[in-house]
Amino acid sequence: MSPATDTATRLRRLLAILTWLAQEGEAPIEEVASRFDLTPTALVAELEMAACCGVPPYTPDQLLEIVVTEDTVSTRVGTVLARPRRLSPSEGLALAAAARAVLAVPGSDEDGALSRALAKLDRALGQPGIEVELDSPDQLDTVRAALDEHQRLAISYYSASTDQTTDRTITPRRLFASEGHWYVDAWCEMADSVRRFRVDRIATAVPAGPAAEEVLAVALPPVASGGTAPSGALGAFVPGPDSRRVRIAADPAKAWLFEAVPSVVEGDEDGRRVWEVFVGGDAWLERLLLRLGPDARVIEPSEDRDLAPEAARRILARYGPSEG
Amino acid sequence: MAQPDRLERVTDLLLVLLDASRPLSLREIADRVPGYPSGHDARRQAFERDKRLLRDEGVPVLAEAIDGEEQVGYRVDPDAYYLPDLGLEPDEQAALNLAVAGVHLGEPIGREALSKLGMGGSWPRRTAPSPLVDLPLVDGLPALPLLFDAARTGAVVNFGYRGEPRAVDVGGIRFRGGHWYVVGRDRAKGEARTFRVDRIEGLPEVGEAGSAELPDGFDADDEFGRDPWHFGPGESVEVDVAVDAAEAGRVVTELGPDSVVERTDDGGVVVRLEVSDVEALVSWALDLLDHAEVLRPADVRAAVVARLEAFAGAVR
Repeated sequence: MSPATDTATRLRRLLAILTWLAQEGEAPIEEVASRFDLTPTALVAELEMAACCGVPPYTPDQLLEIVVTEDTVSTRVGTVLARPRRLSPSEGLALAAAARAVLAVPGSDEDGALSRALAKLDRALGQPGIEVELDSPDQLDTVRAALDEHQRLAISYYSASTDQTTDRTITPRRLFASEGHWYVDAWCEMADSVRRFRVDRIATAVPAGPAAEEVLAVALPPVASGGTAPSGALGAFVPGPDSRRVRIAADPAKAWLFEAVPSVVEGDEDGRRVWEVFVGGDAWLERLLLRLGPDARVIEPSEDRDLAPEAARRILARYGPSEG
Repeated sequence: MAQPDRLERVTDLLLVLLDASRPLSLREIADRVPGYPSGHDARRQAFERDKRLLRDEGVPVLAEAIDGEEQVGYRVDPDAYYLPDLGLEPDEQAALNLAVAGVHLGEPIGREALSKLGMGGSWPRRTAPSPLVDLPLVDGLPALPLLFDAARTGAVVNFGYRGEPRAVDVGGIRFRGGHWYVVGRDRAKGEARTFRVDRIEGLPEVGEAGSAELPDGFDADDEFGRDPWHFGPGESVEVDVAVDAAEAGRVVTELGPDSVVERTDDGGVVVRLEVSDVEALVSWALDLLDHAEVLRPADVRAAVVARLEAFAGAVR
């Protein structure tokens, strides 16, 4: 770490400690040190250094009021450098958005402490004009209750990647919202392992008795899925048994359709762009190809080349015979 | 100790600048802050490094013209540095901490914000917050904080979108369907438009506070062009789509219960959409494979069939 980075980090930490301590008044050295990830010796050295700072002629009322005793440290509200500081736009956004996201979770307490905190933030920062909306699929409450109460659920689930509806019994373990959808990570008795389900694709869910202890102890996969998902997202894509890599050539103007799917650009050939796409299943690939249009082409594997025409014929059957 | 601690000098500098009732010249600063070298150039260099460090940490160090040989003086306006007391109660602080912990928004920006408000350090652990919400923020969305600032201060913003320069009076910012959008009045078009923030080209330029000119009663929610088939330039038509049970739940969650005009006994639904971009609607309907069928009007139904026949004919 360069000396400049080091000083900046230390300044930031010193200000964080003082601002927190001002609200506490006095606190045990051990507690403050562990809270801010310092050794007690380092904390005392840092605060004693700060206590010596000031503005000439160093009259007592101008000094930073920091008192270090054998066991405790203290400062007081209103001390210079110990007052809350203005937030940068990014920081203000982070707080305003985080609080709104939690309040947008269906079933959150709209008159609770978080709402009151948010109202105070908005008053101080100015109304940001931000709203966060999260989906509210039918089965979300049922899944959440099963998660909280350690219950199993009998569900009917439509899998978009295989285009099949199956009945399974699951034990919900983790619920999260990502990329506009709710997902539940759950122990699946049919697969005999942890699976990720989209909550809006659960058609029915019925409580099916208490969860097994050993299932509640099974380690969950990381929420992010190791580089195959779009950056920044918790990663809703989990490679399954049918997943494979498919190379597709398409008009570069269709690039936006690849933004939301796990894919990498391989390069350009003859005015077309080639993507390598991580495919979850046949139906998933059919959807992508149909949206890309008839000009897009599967390069390999060759057995996937007929998928889109076959899907098109299957859908056309639903529309009945064409008129002449 | 051989070297004086630079943190001590920087802390002294911050105190002196905050205490200054008028801009101080570098010579006056060096008289008040111990630790600066005596040589003119070395002192200037050391001060510039400290000033940069403070500004990087978000301290608004002002440089103002002064009389005398040095011409520039420095100070920190306390009103621009401190936040008025928020008066947060302990339970409100705990709730904010839990919110920051439960929302995945690109650390450590949320924690830095809490530190500035006096809620720094590790919060006593409770159970892991559930559910978690993934909210793309600063990671990969550098435009968002700038738009947030524009919304807060009522400023016009300029940015590129779909290859065109736009000047937009910001009416609101919305997170819906997993994406951030900015809703406002596009000055060149003279009407409301919705822009996806991750498709904004380059960094927006934020105008002066109060420079936005929104019509009276502008309602960002009314103007929000939520679905892709709303973004088209043409007149909108009502399109009915039948969706069978396998996808009905997801479609109703996406469109809202008001879109349902009919429910069938087998769990399917008929939904009605306002469509101004038929191409986008066709793409949306095909994403449902054979679980959906565009019922009416006839020309939209024909567009779907034509698209499918183009595929089906591609291999014989």
